[in-house]
Amino acid sequence: MPKTIYLDNNATTPVDPRVLTEMLPYFSEKFGNPASRSHVYGWESEEAVDIAKENIATLIGAHPHEIVFTSGATEAINLAIKGLLETQNRKNHIITTQTEHKAVLDVCAKLESQAIEITYLPVNSGGTIDIKELEKAIKPNTGLICILYANNETGVIQPIAQIGSIAKQNKIPFFTDATQAVGKIPVQVTTDGIDMLCMSAHKLYGPKGVGVLFIRKNQSDFNITAQIEGGGHQLGLRSGTLNVPGIVGLGEACKIAGVELEIEQNRLSTLRNQFERALVEMDGITINGNNSPRLPHCTNITIEGIDGEKFILNLGSKIAFSQSSACTSATIQPSHVLLAMGLQKDAIQNSFRFSFGRFNTEKEVEQAILLLKQTITQHRNQ
Amino acid sequence: MKEINDIIQAYDQAILEHKSMALATVVKVEGSSYRRPGARMLVTDDGMLTGAISGGCLEGDALRKALLAISQQKNKLVSYDTTDENDNKLGVQLGCNGIVHILFEPINTNLENHPIALLKQVVSTRSNAVLFTLFSFQSNRNEHIGTCVLYQNDTVLFNSTIGKILPFDKLAYTAQQRQDSFFENIVHENKSITVFTEYMEPAPHLVIVGAGNDTIPLCEMAAILGWKITIVDGRSGHASLTRFSKASNILVCKADEVLQHITIDIRTAFVLMTHNYNYDIRLLQGLLVSEESTYIGVLGPKKKLQKMYDEIEQFGITITDAQKLKVFGPVGLEIGAETSEEIALSVLAEVKAAFASKNGQFLRDKTEPIHDRSL
Repeated sequence: MPKTIYLDNNATTPVDPRVLTEMLPYFSEKFGNPASRSHVYGWESEEAVDIAKENIATLIGAHPHEIVFTSGATEAINLAIKGLLETQNRKNHIITTQTEHKAVLDVCAKLESQAIEITYLPVNSGGTIDIKELEKAIKPNTGLICILYANNETGVIQPIAQIGSIAKQNKIPFFTDATQAVGKIPVQVTTDGIDMLCMSAHKLYGPKGVGVLFIRKNQSDFNITAQIEGGGHQLGLRSGTLNVPGIVGLGEACKIAGVELEIEQNRLSTLRNQFERALVEMDGITINGNNSPRLPHCTNITIEGIDGEKFILNLGSKIAFSQSSACTSATIQPSHVLLAMGLQKDAIQNSFRFSFGRFNTEKEVEQAILLLKQTITQHRNQ
Repeated sequence: MKEINDIIQAYDQAILEHKSMALATVVKVEGSSYRRPGARMLVTDDGMLTGAISGGCLEGDALRKALLAISQQKNKLVSYDTTDENDNKLGVQLGCNGIVHILFEPINTNLENHPIALLKQVVSTRSNAVLFTLFSFQSNRNEHIGTCVLYQNDTVLFNSTIGKILPFDKLAYTAQQRQDSFFENIVHENKSITVFTEYMEPAPHLVIVGAGNDTIPLCEMAAILGWKITIVDGRSGHASLTRFSKASNILVCKADEVLQHITIDIRTAFVLMTHNYNYDIRLLQGLLVSEESTYIGVLGPKKKLQKMYDEIEQFGITITDAQKLKVFGPVGLEIGAETSEEIALSVLAEVKAAFASKNGQFLRDKTEPIHDRSL
C-alpha cells in the first residue's frame, strides 16, 4: 500500500533528521542535568541549553535571556495568561479573539469563572479582527491583549504589528500565540511589539513535549508568576529539570527554520497555490480566508455536495488532513473559527484543512489533488 | 604585561605538574566593563586562576566554561550580558551595563605556536608586538580560530593555517602605525570572522636614578605593577640587590657612563632622584639630547630644573622646546605626596599617564566614558 500523504503539518510535523541527530547524544552520553553546577556533565548540558536559547532567540529577534522553556505551547499559554493576571489585581480584563486556539480559550473560560472579564473580539468573514474594535474594547482595567498570530485552522494572520503598537500606546502587555507562525513566516518580537509569545517545537520539525514562552526582559510594566513551582529553575519562572534533548531539538529546529525560511515559504506557497487552483477548477469549492494575509503552507477549503465525515474517512488511509481543527476533532463540534467567520454549520462540516510541510513533494501534492478530485466526484455522484 | 608574565609563570608551573589548561581572553566588549579586550586569565584543570577577565563577577562562571573547554578540547566563545538586571545567573548584580565576550582556548601543548607560546614570544623582547585573535559571532559556539598569529619585529608566528590566507601583514602594519588595537570583520568561507588586532607594548622600563632610601618604595611599587626596573647610582653601597631586590638590573657607574649601559626604548622612563645635583645634571644633559628618550622625570622644584637648564646651556648646548617636552619636572602628579611612598605613588601614576597619553585628571570630571569605545 502506498504511503499516506501527510498534509496535516499544522497538527504536527515529523522531526527533521538533522534535528534528531543533534538531539540523540543528549539522551545518552551527554545526559547531564544543566542544573548541576559542579561538573562537566552539567556544564555541557547547560551549554547545549544556552546554544538552543541563542538559536530560538535569533529566529524571533529576541534576546536569549528572554526564553523560558515549557512542555509546549499550551503550558506557555497558561504561564503567560495566568502568570500575568495573578500579579495584577486591578487589571482584570483581557481582550482576546473568538478565533483563538482552544488552549487560550479554555484558559480564558477558567479565568472568567474566577471573575476575570474577557472580551472576545469578533472577526470578519476573512478571519481578521477589526483594529478599531480592539481600540474600542480597551478599558482602564485592561491587563492583557492576547491575540493569535496566525490561525491554526485557516492560516489567517492577524495584523500583529498594529496590535502591538496599540498595546504599547495603551501600556497593555501583548501576548501572542505564534505556534503556527514561528519558523513559517518571519516573526520578529521587536518590530511586532510583542511582549510575550509562545511557540512549540513539534510544529516546526522539532520534537513533541517542548515549547517556549518568550517574555520581554527589562519590562517595567508587568510581571509573571510561576505556575509550576519546585526548584526555582529558569529564574523561578518554570521549575522542573529541563528537557535537554527536547530543548536541543527545538534550538536546532529554529536554526534550520531560520536558514531555510525564505526558500521554504516560497516553495510551500507555490504548492499550496497549485493545490488550491486545481481544486477550485471544480464547482462548489470555496477557500476560507483567502482574501486575508495567510500562512504560506496551509489552506482551509469548503467542499459542497459531500458528507464531510464520510469523505474524510474515505480518504483517511490515503491522505492525512483534518476536518476542522485537529484538537477539537475528538468531539464533533463545528469549528469555532469558521463559525466566527460566518460559515454555516453544514458548510463547516464539509470544511477541511490541508497543511503542507518541509517533507511534502510536488508529486505528493499532484497525487493528492487527483485523489481528492476523484473522491469529490464520487461522493457528489452518490 | 604583568598579567601575561604571571600567566606564563603559571603555565610553566602547570606544565611541570602535568596539568591541562585553558586561556580565557576578553575579545570584545560592548558598553562598559571592568576589563578591556586583551585581558587574559589562565585556568588550570584543578581550577587555579591566574590573571583576570573581570572585576571578579565573571570569574566563577568563566572557571566552569574554561574547564568545559578543557574537557571538550574546543575553543569556546561565551558572551556575558551584564545589561540584564533580571539575570541572576551570574549570582551577582553586575551593574556594569555591558556585554563581555570571552574566548576560551584549551592549550594544546603539542602545537608549536599555541596561544601561550605566542605570549611567551611577545614578552621575550622589549619590542612592540601585534597579536591576532579570531572569533566569529556567526559560528557555533565551539568553532573559533582563536589566538593565531603574532607579528614582532621580523618574526611572524602562526598557530593556524588561516594565517596564510588573511591579510595579516596589512593589519599588523596598521596597528603599528596607529599604535593601537582595533577590530575588523573579514568574510572567510562565507562566514564573518572578527579579527581582534591587538597592539601590545612591552611593560614600562623604569630607570630609577638614585639609590637612596627614598627610592626603595618606588622600586617596590613599580614591581607590583610588573614593570622592568633598573637602579642607577654611583654609590655601590646604596645601589645593591639587598636594598632593591625587585630590580632586574643594578647599575653602579658615573653619570656620564649611564647611557652606554642602558637601551632606551619608547617605554623607558627615567626618574632623576639622586639628590646629587651634579649627577642628575650630567644625566639630564645626556637624556635631553638622546633621540630615544621620551620621559625624563626630575625630582625637585622648578627652580632647580631651570638652574639645570641654564647650566647646560652655558656649555653651549641649546635645549629645544621639543626636548623640554620630554622633561617632567617637578616629577609626579599633584596628589599632595609627602612621604617617600606617596611620592612613589605620584611618580608612578604620572609615568603611567604619560605613556598612555592621558592627563591624570579625576575621572569624575570626564564627560565622556572612561575607555575609548572604539575598542
